[in-house]
Amino acid sequence: MTTLTQGEHSLLLADKQSMCYCPGCTHASVLERLGHTLDGMGVDPRRVCIVSDIGCVGTSDRYFDCHTFHGLHGRSITYAEGIKRVRPDTLVIVLIGDGGCGIGTAHLVHAARRNADIKILVFNNFNFGMTGGQASPTTFPGGATGTTPGGAVDRPMDICQTVIANGASHVARVSAMDKACSAFMEAALRAPGFALVDIWELCTAYYLPRNKLKPAMLDEFAQDLDMPMGLLRDAGRPVAMGASVATPAPTDKKAEAVTASLTLPWSGRREIWIAGSAGQRIRSAAGLLGEMATNGERYASQTDDFPITVRKGHSVSRLIMSDAPIRYLGCDHPDLLIVLSEDGVKRLGRLDALPASCHVMVDASLTLAGLPREPTRFNFHEIQKQVGAESAAWTILVSAILQLGWIDADALRAAASASFRGSYRDKNLAALEAGIALQNA
Amino acid sequence: MREFITGNQAVVRAAIRAGCNFFAGYPITPASSILTEFVKAFAGGRGVIVQTEDEIAAIGQCIGAAMAGAKALTASSGPGLSLYSENIGLAQMAETPLVIVDCQRMGPSTGGATATGEGDVLFARYVTGGGYPLPVLSAGDAETAYRLTFDAFNIAERYRTPVILLSSKDVALTRQTVDLDAVTPPALVERDSLTSGDGDGWEGPYAVGRPADIPRFAPLGGDTLVRVTGSIHDERGVLTNDRSKIQAKLTHLVEKIERNAEAMERFDADIDPGADTLIICYGGTEGAVREAVDTLRREGAGVSRLTLHTLWPIARKAIREAITPNVRRIVMPELNIGLYADALQGVVAPKRIESIRRYDGGLIAPETICEHLCEEAITR
Repeated sequence: MTTLTQGEHSLLLADKQSMCYCPGCTHASVLERLGHTLDGMGVDPRRVCIVSDIGCVGTSDRYFDCHTFHGLHGRSITYAEGIKRVRPDTLVIVLIGDGGCGIGTAHLVHAARRNADIKILVFNNFNFGMTGGQASPTTFPGGATGTTPGGAVDRPMDICQTVIANGASHVARVSAMDKACSAFMEAALRAPGFALVDIWELCTAYYLPRNKLKPAMLDEFAQDLDMPMGLLRDAGRPVAMGASVATPAPTDKKAEAVTASLTLPWSGRREIWIAGSAGQRIRSAAGLLGEMATNGERYASQTDDFPITVRKGHSVSRLIMSDAPIRYLGCDHPDLLIVLSEDGVKRLGRLDALPASCHVMVDASLTLAGLPREPTRFNFHEIQKQVGAESAAWTILVSAILQLGWIDADALRAAASASFRGSYRDKNLAALEAGIALQNA
Repeated sequence: MREFITGNQAVVRAAIRAGCNFFAGYPITPASSILTEFVKAFAGGRGVIVQTEDEIAAIGQCIGAAMAGAKALTASSGPGLSLYSENIGLAQMAETPLVIVDCQRMGPSTGGATATGEGDVLFARYVTGGGYPLPVLSAGDAETAYRLTFDAFNIAERYRTPVILLSSKDVALTRQTVDLDAVTPPALVERDSLTSGDGDGWEGPYAVGRPADIPRFAPLGGDTLVRVTGSIHDERGVLTNDRSKIQAKLTHLVEKIERNAEAMERFDADIDPGADTLIICYGGTEGAVREAVDTLRREGAGVSRLTLHTLWPIARKAIREAITPNVRRIVMPELNIGLYADALQGVVAPKRIESIRRYDGGLIAPETICEHLCEEAITR
């Protein structure tokens, strides 16, 4: 962190008397202490960003002469995290209220879990001051507010334990009236990783008039609620911000570029439907042909139809191959339909609209309703036994396009050899040979 | 090199080439592969990738990152766009360059996660409170998604605004043959930078000369101190209740989009100067319209096609020019309940737009468009 000589520049633009807060509200004194703390730390204001949430404390960014960001209720934590990821040398401080911790609980928990390197100061005055004194997630049991006139009944949220349970590095609770408040804030600002100070405050506009609450009573409440004051956690976790998703070492895919391009002999537009079940590698089979067409100076388009549960239920791939760019992605007039399983039959429904010219190949055990003419049958079970479950769809697709005379075996072999890549290359080439053999048989 | 890739992959390729270095997102069909492609693309620290706890955090982190100087993108589907809503308003008010991809799917609510639809064309424009304009682009295939991703970043950077790029399930997940190397992307535009002067440190990160000007940008965490706020503010980013300053800021938010609308118009027109029929389309209906136009022309019909890649602001100039003197009929197929046709009605008045609609998760076929034109012609 770049530093200026202490006293050269104060981050604080106003003293507590000139701030906008109600007489007696502790926001002003805590903010003033924060300014003095930052000055005392000698931080460069260009490397400090204060992110304020919504509520009375949300008006405070104007009192600080550093970078400031004021956004939506409860979301200050998210902006802070985004800023810190891009500006790791900046001290990013969130000023948030108890309401913000309620509406933004998910962010609070997950930022702690990620050990986001941001410092959160909670201005916790047990009610919503800005909107007229409604109950907040931290209102004490029995606390009278605009929305709990007979006293709050819910347990107050323990902000500290919430973030501790989820991996926060540094957590403390302190009363705004406690002289140590500044020291707790400074310790949090200096701590690496996710740090939070839950500062208990007095709202003189709404909470105090309705409730018997004196500064000394905060300690009693803390005891009664088993929410102790003081430093609650100080166990630095290594900070690893930047990427929160583990990223593997880069692999250079370009090395696997197509070795040769063959112009496939197909002309016009061919449409293929393959219908079956999840796990039959139908999408992969269609994709292999699409890749071959693409590498063979042809155009392809593959649209897959599958339920959200990709390991169960139907899987239907619709593949278009054409010698011209494919503009309409709909695959409505199949020249070839292959059906592998009952899931596929169910998904296709009645086939009265199928073009009479469509060649249909179907597993021997299946019955398709509304077919215009007799299909060709194959024994999927036998083929699966022969080439393995993961290659059978591809084998059948190969035998079908050979049977239709769309391509001869040698050209198909050469195109596949030029096109196939990756760890499945050998397996897919073997399944292709099985398809050629099946057709010859 | 020709490749067999999805629209989502094309978007990520373009984003990287456009200099995108920050992605935050939450998984949702059919947008999830944008997230996973970014994980691969940013491997080894080549960019920041965050899988957040929800879409609100995703766009929140993107806004923070963008205001700290990053080129950020987030992607979701209709349900996630709903969760982006409030933050899109913040991005408008804070004048945040940000690209948001919405891979649309069928229906309201969770709808049909793996079925296509384009029902967010009005929602995208009116996604947040206040009613201020928001640029929205629409792609109907992988190559267009690739091109428009550059445009989306350029518009976001040039005009300091969030931009929504619409695709749909059939664009996002359909694998297509494309040669991205053969596409010449537009020259990249970067946000104008505000550099620290010798004044009081406040150079006015929201200061503009005329209302349609774009304020110069200084990043959070940089050497010029900046204030960013979603509340109404003056040229220094300081809250204001001065009516004249409020008026100036909000008028600026309107004019920087509306007065630059023509510069944001992206479209593809195939005009027959003597046409009596004009088909206007966007997104997932374009392919069918191209096929239908070829068929109709072979049969001797005089027909023009206008594909709108910019939906908002409305490409008025392109539309005006496509309505050549003999045009009597204007037809618009859409994968929704006729939403955008309604929006354009006022633009083409007193002519009437004939709406062709499909919203069951399927595409509108070329034959449907041809039949509509023939049948309607007979009934006239």
